[in-house]
Amino acid sequence: MIEVTGLHAQVGDFVLSDVTFTVPQGSYGVVIGPAGSGKTTLLETIAGIIPQRGGRLRLAGAGGEARDAAGIPPERRRIGFVYQLGYLFPHLSVAENIAYGASEPAAASEVASRLGAAELRGRAIRGLSGGERQLVAIARAIASRPDVLLLDEPFSALDPRRRVRVRREVRTMHREWGMTVLQVTHDFTEAGLLGDVAILLDGGRVLQSGRPEQVFREPASPYIAEFLGAENVFAGEARVLSDEAPDWVHGETEALSRGHRAIEFRAGPLTLYTVGDASSGAGHAVIRAEEVMLSLVPHPTSARNQFAGRVSEIAAVGALTRATIDIAGVPLVAALTTRSAQELGLLPGQQVFASFKAMAVHLC
Amino acid sequence: MKEAKTVGWRTSRCTGGVRDVKRSSERARLRWLRASGHTVEMTGAVPHRADGRRLHGAASVVAALLGSLCLLFFVVPIAQLVAGSGGAGARRLFSDAELRSALWLTALTATSAVILGVAGGTPLAYLLARQRFRGRAVLAAVIDLPLLIPHPVAGIALLLLLGRESALGRSALALGLRVVGSPIGIVAAMLFVAAPLYISAAHEAFARVDTRYESVARTLGDPLWRVFRRVTLPLSMRGLIAAAVVMWARSVSEFGAIVVLTYNPKVASVLSYDRFTSFGLGEALPVAAVLVMLALVPLILLRALRPDR
Repeated sequence: MIEVTGLHAQVGDFVLSDVTFTVPQGSYGVVIGPAGSGKTTLLETIAGIIPQRGGRLRLAGAGGEARDAAGIPPERRRIGFVYQLGYLFPHLSVAENIAYGASEPAAASEVASRLGAAELRGRAIRGLSGGERQLVAIARAIASRPDVLLLDEPFSALDPRRRVRVRREVRTMHREWGMTVLQVTHDFTEAGLLGDVAILLDGGRVLQSGRPEQVFREPASPYIAEFLGAENVFAGEARVLSDEAPDWVHGETEALSRGHRAIEFRAGPLTLYTVGDASSGAGHAVIRAEEVMLSLVPHPTSARNQFAGRVSEIAAVGALTRATIDIAGVPLVAALTTRSAQELGLLPGQQVFASFKAMAVHLC
Repeated sequence: MKEAKTVGWRTSRCTGGVRDVKRSSERARLRWLRASGHTVEMTGAVPHRADGRRLHGAASVVAALLGSLCLLFFVVPIAQLVAGSGGAGARRLFSDAELRSALWLTALTATSAVILGVAGGTPLAYLLARQRFRGRAVLAAVIDLPLLIPHPVAGIALLLLLGRESALGRSALALGLRVVGSPIGIVAAMLFVAAPLYISAAHEAFARVDTRYESVARTLGDPLWRVFRRVTLPLSMRGLIAAAVVMWARSVSEFGAIVVLTYNPKVASVLSYDRFTSFGLGEALPVAAVLVMLALVPLILLRALRPDR
């Protein structure tokens, strides 16, 4: 477990302040944030490499009691640390690097072979590629069987095939051994795939933390929404509809029963309907491109929000296609599979209907 | 005082440390500058095109001429000395017992000074490279101080501290240890003038080791002292050995401080001076030639210790 409360640390002029989040025992946390947001500093502070100036940091292993880490040196925190550049000891062999912190050589060999690093054992450190260095660094950190594993962009230099294998294997060992993991990543897909908890960091502060799907679907601010890659962020005015459930909220009644309200949101020529706990007033509406469906004729759907528009741009990237629809001068981006786009026969200038559910509109 | 020893260093491809300097000739010179106590400031990257631009016409002729003159000024006296008296010097090694014993004493005292310098200087160099504390700049300046004072003055200062009239000298004498006029005095003089070179080069060797290697080792369960033994020391070993070689070479070539503390027994530098003043140039030349040839040993060692080898 990693429990951080009001953590404060400083490196030069950079300040990490009032950082609060929890990665429960045996969970996988991901830290997301722009360059220079303090991600590495946060990991180094948790590791005890950078002194903690304030707040509270508690660490625990599987079956162990959480203990306050303040004043405990890095070597007694039972942590593993992987820097992006690996920092393998150049005077030692690959095998000696992996076994450096391992209590027994067999454990090091097992981790090395599971991660696919065993074939590198005979190689010199100076001859390893960036990806191979990362692989050996991950094996070295895990071979010491830490309670808490701190990973700073550990897969960034691995080739795609190896990345999938290593990521899966790290996840498996994390589950098997009950390690708590905190990983810094720039890759939102990776964050969604791996993370049980996502922590969004910027300027040395936590902007938002929670389950990754929650953070991605319900960003706390338009800045976070845009940072997380939400293409459709509209500024406008929200108005709470009457307390009685309006007749359009089939399917959203569950949300209404939890105390949420039906809301109308006007953003220029667009009028969106949503369900949430926002109050009336100025705000932003966020709709993830994956939530927008396209059809050539008005779709008989339960989706409350439906607009006619024209395709202004189509960009296919592998299996996914992003289509920008011009709705009375407002661009709305829809993400669909390239196959669906081909079946629809989408062409620039073509009239289409874009629809999305009230629940897909997040107000912040 | 420190500014007086600061040398600006402009190079086409360098903003960082010595290892970033691409050309080996530049690197070697930079090391020698540092080893001889200069603080070298990298003045930043100069655009390659601008720096590498060829000098044209008269300017290049003048530059080549001045450079050649400078080179000749270094090479000619030494070459002349070795060519003229190298053979005689080598023969003297077999026939001249005083020369042999002076060389033996020089090697022994220089090695003792290096052992003491490494033992005392390594922790100081590590402290300077790794810790940020109040008074760090003052400590660094104090360590550099012996490099800046004339060496006979250093000898006089040591005489005040260790001479028969001083409390320390009297206590040592009471224990049967004579400092002045003994090999101990020679070691003290060598240590005083050459240890700062070791500390400065060892400091640089430690500073070149990225602290993240040490951080990783600590997260893998090693306490500080074990990190030093398993990671820092092996990674800085080449630099530390080079630093010790520089200190040894400087100790061997020391004259000014030694001559004040211990004229007899004579180390090689004192012997060459003694032969010159007592018997003239003819007698001094073979001894001087042997010393020059011996100076090549640390030079070759330093080349062999180049980090990129």
